[in-house]
Amino acid sequence: MLSFALRRTLWMGVMLVGLLAITFSISHIAPGDPAALAAGPDATREMIELIRTEHGLDRPLPVQFALYLGNILQGNWGVSINTRHAVWDDLVRFFPATFELVVFSILLAAGIGIPLGVLAAVRQNTWTDHAIRVVTVGGVALPMFWLGLMIQLALALHLGWFPLGGRMDMMTDPVAPITHLLLIDTLLHGAFGTFVECLHHIVLPAAALSVPALASIIRVNRAEMLETLKQDYVVNARAQGLSTFRIVAIYALRNAMLPTMAMVGLRFGWMLGGTVLVETVFDWPGIGLYAVESAINSDFEPIMGATIVLGFFFMMTNLVIDLIYAMLDPRVRNQI
Amino acid sequence: MTLIRPLVLGLGAAAVFAGAMISDAAAFERRGDQKILVFASRQKVPILDPSIKYDASIRTMQQAVYDALLKYTGTPPEYVPWLAERWDVSEDGLTYTFHLVKNARFHNGDPVTAEAVRWSYARTLQLGKGPAWMLNAFLKAENIKAIDDHTVSMTLDRPYAPFLSFVPWWYVMNPAEVMANEVDGDMGQKWLIENEAGSGPFRLRRNEPGNLIELERVQDYWRGFKGPLGGIIYKIIRESAAQRAALVKGEADIVTGLTPDEFEAVSRMEGMVTSTAPALTAFGLKFNTKAEYTSDINVRKAISWAYDYDAFVKIFNGRAKLQTSPFTDDIKGKITVPGMPHQDLAKAKEFLAKSPWPDGGFEIEYVYVQGFEVERQMGLVLIDALQKLNISVNMVPLTWANMVARGSKVETSPQLMAIFATPVSTDPDAVASQYHPSAWGRYYGTHYYDNKEVHALIEEARYLSNWEERQPIYEEIQRRLVDDQPEIFGMMRERMIVYRDWVKGFEYSPVRMTSELDLYPLYIGK
Repeated sequence: MLSFALRRTLWMGVMLVGLLAITFSISHIAPGDPAALAAGPDATREMIELIRTEHGLDRPLPVQFALYLGNILQGNWGVSINTRHAVWDDLVRFFPATFELVVFSILLAAGIGIPLGVLAAVRQNTWTDHAIRVVTVGGVALPMFWLGLMIQLALALHLGWFPLGGRMDMMTDPVAPITHLLLIDTLLHGAFGTFVECLHHIVLPAAALSVPALASIIRVNRAEMLETLKQDYVVNARAQGLSTFRIVAIYALRNAMLPTMAMVGLRFGWMLGGTVLVETVFDWPGIGLYAVESAINSDFEPIMGATIVLGFFFMMTNLVIDLIYAMLDPRVRNQI
Repeated sequence: MTLIRPLVLGLGAAAVFAGAMISDAAAFERRGDQKILVFASRQKVPILDPSIKYDASIRTMQQAVYDALLKYTGTPPEYVPWLAERWDVSEDGLTYTFHLVKNARFHNGDPVTAEAVRWSYARTLQLGKGPAWMLNAFLKAENIKAIDDHTVSMTLDRPYAPFLSFVPWWYVMNPAEVMANEVDGDMGQKWLIENEAGSGPFRLRRNEPGNLIELERVQDYWRGFKGPLGGIIYKIIRESAAQRAALVKGEADIVTGLTPDEFEAVSRMEGMVTSTAPALTAFGLKFNTKAEYTSDINVRKAISWAYDYDAFVKIFNGRAKLQTSPFTDDIKGKITVPGMPHQDLAKAKEFLAKSPWPDGGFEIEYVYVQGFEVERQMGLVLIDALQKLNISVNMVPLTWANMVARGSKVETSPQLMAIFATPVSTDPDAVASQYHPSAWGRYYGTHYYDNKEVHALIEEARYLSNWEERQPIYEEIQRRLVDDQPEIFGMMRERMIVYRDWVKGFEYSPVRMTSELDLYPLYIGK
């Protein structure tokens, strides 16, 4: 088991370097000129060249890549050419906002999706099942951007139940960061009022972000439950007179959970890299917006920084899933 | 039936509750007993340093926390005394002497002195970024002298008529505070990214990059205020629909950047006030005058006479005005140029017949900003118009970064590019210079317009200090530009600004960029 974990970790390192190389190549092959954009619309050629030299963009690409890797290994994540902010400071500022949103969303999706999947399987081909199917089809088909706007208009603007956007009220001074996760930091500071406020703010963006994951989790869980409920041991349990709740919740669900948990893990990784639309609608200052704005401005070092962080967490999620699989199924351990 | 009744009652109760929530929420923010105004903009403010960068959002913040020697106000825009209560110009037009007000203070209490002005100008010139381009060809740091505590002189290398028109964009920093935060000889660059050392009407209270900036009013500001206000929150709301929702709900008091449709919808609501005046910004479709087909003057003329100009206005729901000259209306010396193209298919065909492609049969590339709906619609209008000349159009949406990169070289600059260009000052040189070779490769110089006579006229007018001598030259430049048609001269879009009726003191000036506001005169009058 230990050797399996080591092999996977080693692969992860290789993949991360590969991801960096690909991102670096793509972002530098794109035609945008970050120095010209950073210099401003009226900048002279001399001003543009000054900025290009300051940021080392006048050097050959392999040299730039080697220098970048060297700097990363020394803990220097570079500086945004557009904002002049240190990339590390930006990542520390923006990634936790996204991480918090994604964790909340996946908990929401799993917390609602798993019971609904079970319910749909138990009541297969009834109105309940059909209604849940509508939710799953809609969840997959509805564009997240549109859905976000709609729930914002309905629940925040018209009903006034939730704030329109942001992580907290404008007039609230943020607590001193400890983990940079506001929900955690407010609790650590004992600022319970602010904690509730943050919770209030995260509900709508998390709901919008969780819908596609919710739909997938329901579908996988339903399918697995249907399979499991046909197994001999379930029939036997019924014959033994066990209660339906006990059969479903204790025996069948546990066996159906493996693929569901894999889906939860995968969705978590995808969500981390796919928050930009929700962040745009709800003004959530996260890493999705940061990465996209950097890409629009051809701002290489923030793009690379965001790629490393998102790539690392995506791979970590996959690693954890693989390890869980390997723990539960010894055959998997010999595959890689 | 038993289920429907409670459902209806429940929904009714929810609606009443929601209505109460909205009416309660629709009010400005407060901090203690101070009223706080919220300005929702779509653009973030990455840098505050006045020597490093400017754009609409950055300059909104810079002019809130810093002062300059002069300031632009009104329509047509004029620069008025600010930190400089008056100024003198030497007879040779080389030396400008500014006499400073005596009661101005930086936010830490230090007086604003002539030395601070000298240092601030020298810093910007030395760093060579941001606004440096406006003056660095004519002004050397060593030629700026603090004569006494309240008098500073600047001697130019040669007379330069637009000089004063740039001064409002050069802000004065507190050298002591900046240098106290210097790191590795950076002249405080790192510190000034997210901090300020100004003497302006507001000081920075909170800066949350990517989210909001909170400004606190300097209550003893040396110029005083017109009405009560505690501070301003600059809130970034990136989506137009979300901006509108924030305005309606009272989470924002003033909004810029709404789409034309959102603007129309919100402007009809009770309690909303709109400002819709044209700006100095011109929208045009720039030809690459060195590219295949569009290098031919007759092709350019044919395309210009085929275009449906009314569409420019319709796309903005009537909130745009067609240009009658390459210069927009509030540019000094602007004339109505006879012979400005309008849609006339017969004339367009006449011009095309004189070109090497009398029957058309070729394709041109139209590049516009990806996701910018109005520019896409203008492309569709172009397709429709040029179809009648048997010219096809390849519409290419690009990110702004890629557009700038394409336009930076004559070989890659597309045949037509959709460009909004805001002149940085009201001096006619600010527009004329867009057609000078020094503009080639910049986003507004993607035409690579090459007419040595016109270039000579631009240079001649720039260095004359007498307006009576300059004026006829600029009239000639405008006529020659229309003759040479380096672009489809388009329209002046109205700035669409909406605010709640409790916001008072709003002052518009067309010299400001799209979504740039002067926050100083604003207050809440409720």
